[in-house]
Amino acid sequence: MITLTINEKEITLDKPMSVLDAARKAGIKIPTLCHHEALKPYGGCRLCVVEVERMPKLQNSCTLMAADGMVVRTESEEISRTRRGILEFLLINHPLDCPYCDKAGECELQDLVNRYGPTTGRYTEEKRKVPESHKDHILARNMERCVVCTRCVRMCNDVQGASAISVIGRGNRSRVEPFSSESFNCEYCGNCLTVCPVGAILSRLYIHSFRPWQLDREVETVCPYCGVGCSLVVQVRDDSIKRVIPRMDLGVNRGLLCSRGRFGYEYIHSEDRLRTPLVRKDGTLQQATWSEALDIVAAKLTAVKNAEGGASIAGIASPRCTNEDNYVFQRFMRTACGTNNIDSVSRTGFAAAQKYFEDLLGQGITANLLDGLKNSETILVLGDDPAAVNPVLGLSIREAARRGAGVIVVGYAKGLDKFRTLQVIPRVFREAEVLEEVLTGVFSDRGVRGDMPYVDKGIRELSDRISGKKTGIEGIDETVKKLLQSASTSIVLGMDIVQRSDGHRALFAVAGLTYLLEARLYLLSGRPNEQGLIDAGCVPDMLPGGRPVNVPDFRGKFEAVWKAAVPDREGLTLLEIIEGAGKGNIKALYVMGDNPVRNIPHSSFVKEALRSLDFLVVQDIFLSETAEMADVVLPALGWTEKSGTYTNLERRIQLLRKAVETSSGMEDWRILSELSRRMGVPASYSGPEDVMRELARVSPLHRDLTYGEIAAGDALWPYHGEPLRGEMYEVPEMPDGAKDYNADFYLAVDKPLFHSGTLSRRSRALMKICPEATVRIGAAGAAKLGLKEGDKVRLSTPAGSCEAPVSVDGTIMDNRVFLSGNFTGSGVYDLMNFSIDKITKAPGTEGCEVKIEKIQGRG
Amino acid sequence: MFNDTVLKEIEGIKAKYPDRRSALLPSLYIAQREFGWLSREAMTCVARSLNLPEAVVRGTASFYSMYKHKPAGRHVIQLCTNISCMILGAGKLVDFLETRYGVPANGTSGDGRFSLVIMECIGACGTAPAMLVNTDFYDNLSEKRIEEILENYK
Repeated sequence: MITLTINEKEITLDKPMSVLDAARKAGIKIPTLCHHEALKPYGGCRLCVVEVERMPKLQNSCTLMAADGMVVRTESEEISRTRRGILEFLLINHPLDCPYCDKAGECELQDLVNRYGPTTGRYTEEKRKVPESHKDHILARNMERCVVCTRCVRMCNDVQGASAISVIGRGNRSRVEPFSSESFNCEYCGNCLTVCPVGAILSRLYIHSFRPWQLDREVETVCPYCGVGCSLVVQVRDDSIKRVIPRMDLGVNRGLLCSRGRFGYEYIHSEDRLRTPLVRKDGTLQQATWSEALDIVAAKLTAVKNAEGGASIAGIASPRCTNEDNYVFQRFMRTACGTNNIDSVSRTGFAAAQKYFEDLLGQGITANLLDGLKNSETILVLGDDPAAVNPVLGLSIREAARRGAGVIVVGYAKGLDKFRTLQVIPRVFREAEVLEEVLTGVFSDRGVRGDMPYVDKGIRELSDRISGKKTGIEGIDETVKKLLQSASTSIVLGMDIVQRSDGHRALFAVAGLTYLLEARLYLLSGRPNEQGLIDAGCVPDMLPGGRPVNVPDFRGKFEAVWKAAVPDREGLTLLEIIEGAGKGNIKALYVMGDNPVRNIPHSSFVKEALRSLDFLVVQDIFLSETAEMADVVLPALGWTEKSGTYTNLERRIQLLRKAVETSSGMEDWRILSELSRRMGVPASYSGPEDVMRELARVSPLHRDLTYGEIAAGDALWPYHGEPLRGEMYEVPEMPDGAKDYNADFYLAVDKPLFHSGTLSRRSRALMKICPEATVRIGAAGAAKLGLKEGDKVRLSTPAGSCEAPVSVDGTIMDNRVFLSGNFTGSGVYDLMNFSIDKITKAPGTEGCEVKIEKIQGRG
Repeated sequence: MFNDTVLKEIEGIKAKYPDRRSALLPSLYIAQREFGWLSREAMTCVARSLNLPEAVVRGTASFYSMYKHKPAGRHVIQLCTNISCMILGAGKLVDFLETRYGVPANGTSGDGRFSLVIMECIGACGTAPAMLVNTDFYDNLSEKRIEEILENYK
């Protein structure tokens, strides 16, 4: 216990902290400029000086640790004089352009000068002149205003880990600049904006468009982009989002955001938004009224159901829609349409992996908090780059690495290049054999665990099968050694590994490692509500709460509440639905909030299948490539236009709040509720909270969960529910015989940091940062073809071809070339075939040979 | 990128320190030697060979005024003009360098052959005037002797 006196107030501390923190804890304000709660104490600005008895000079309270018996004063004539002096020095070069500066009103320097500052300056010489730089698309730099507190640089180096900016020059000429001194060319997290106390770094998205005091309201909500579920504050004026900012004390991200979350909000105000329902008449989509469109959908679905049976109808739910939307969606599909053919694009990765792990190791095995990742001793990263797919989760790995954790990357994770301690590069598309060898290595030292006999048996069989057959790949033995030494291990799994026709082999190895090492397992999730849609029952085999649909007891309970029958057989998974449509077994498809044409491999095959349908309904906020093919298009409401909940990859349920009024669409759940009523199965709700009340009543997992509890941040796994144990009692057979991939080049899916699905292309800022798909190719491959950065190439595969500029990436060491699928026009999935993994039902996209021709040098 | 010999040299420096950031200043000198000055390209090479962020390299380099932040000639002449050298005619030598070789004080000749840095005492007052050409030391200078010396620096 430390007891000290600050301003005659006795303060007792239970742990060591600085005098500044102690004062703040006691509600005593000490002014600061270089200090920021997200950063380490720096002691640069000296505004936080205090008097300490028996210390001869004023002391920096931010770097002075509180000691027992200390007597501190935070305000006195001398202190004020010192602060005034410091501020006068800062104002020598700081321009007094507050009326023009965006920061005015929330500028820390302005507030400090107002409180302590000199009213006049004595300096009469020339001020430092640095022209404002607008060379970057997103961030404006005004280094005349910079007070060199270095908060931005420390944020960028010590927290974000991007190290994109630095103090250049020294003394009076110091300024903060990126390496190029023009464009930042960085991760564009914008966390420097959060910490800049003055108007030195500003966002060009809203520059000169509003004053902080002119905002109508600000609303706390959750980011619409990925599965981390960062909390953010949306600031609104005239029903338009002006700015998205984080808050230090809020959510899983604690003040950090990534480019998508901070700058990606503009899509919601896009001109391309759907405004009215559209109905296909004479071959074209034409505007229609809501009642006309809903009547057509209800009549057509009823007709198909009566003629062909419910099994000929299928639904694709959305990992971007809320739990409430997805819950009502599956209720509508199961009861009104009479089908269990409900799945989502999540089946191409997350849902497939999640199901496999839960079947094997029990429900909730992937529900681990991000804090656990930060505190791990060893982190095994597989499949994708966490810093691109789930950027803020990536920051947790970087933080762990800074604390000395071992970060082992199997394959590639570019965003962790400066943080990893070991990289193991598997043979191309054959990650499974590396993971199996690691698992056997761990097993031969640890032996079985005995909790789950069938998993033990599977590991033993695997070990027998591959014993003595070493791949000889560098780093495997060391990985095994590190994992065995580690007291707390986390495994971060990206979905690229799942997209193999034998993807379940890698999944078994990961499950085995998770089990033997008692590791925390994190699944990277590129969409905000992948876990939520599974828990809400938008899967073909499970009712809400993960209860098997083919167990009559479970089904009966839901039927009683829904007052309608639920089909007893498991439905089709995503790719089976698409194949079924192609074969004519599926006659009608209802797509909510997704764009399967662009988000499922082999676009031409998907399009062909959708064309064979008798009836396609798409409910979306944009006229996507899929919606263009629909018979009826229903405009939905988007993020910030409606309330609801998302479940993040930690399985934390969080509240999304409405922030803007719009007249363009209807909530997804309300559209479904209207349709359900028209089809004779009433399902009406007063609002999203009412939907959650029903979910909390019927789903054993969400039992008694309330919006109050969710809003308070208490909705953590397993809520009040009872997780089920694993369902699988025999580990499926895993074929051996892997293929060698020796062709010149293979195509693989790129997952850029700046984009997400086909939603982010409607966001102007993200399109400025990353305007087009590029072909990422290794240095060796580029040299072989004589390609330079920016050269345009044509990629051709048996499935299709496309043109794109080249980006040479020295970190790629194998014969894969990466292309993303986020843009209008051709993307990676246009060029790829797939073959379904028989166990996970995910699409295997490996082994897509691609021909690359240079068509034009850099213009 | 640096050639293998230079990379090996940098590896040698890295090996001396527990933290690779400690190798930054000596590596910048090497880059300066290879590129003539600390261009963006030179700093990028240092960043890559030390696996440090480019911005950190530039930030560090820009702090120190004794690195060359602008292009210099192939050979750098550092001539003293302090008291002893001044008395013995260093001022005239400055003029001579400009008229004979086109290299202005603290500038670079048009052909990129020489840069001239006017520097403070190099401790050769007894044999003044004195200069350094790159790292080679010369004293007892005269116009004629400078001509002879500079013949060796093409």
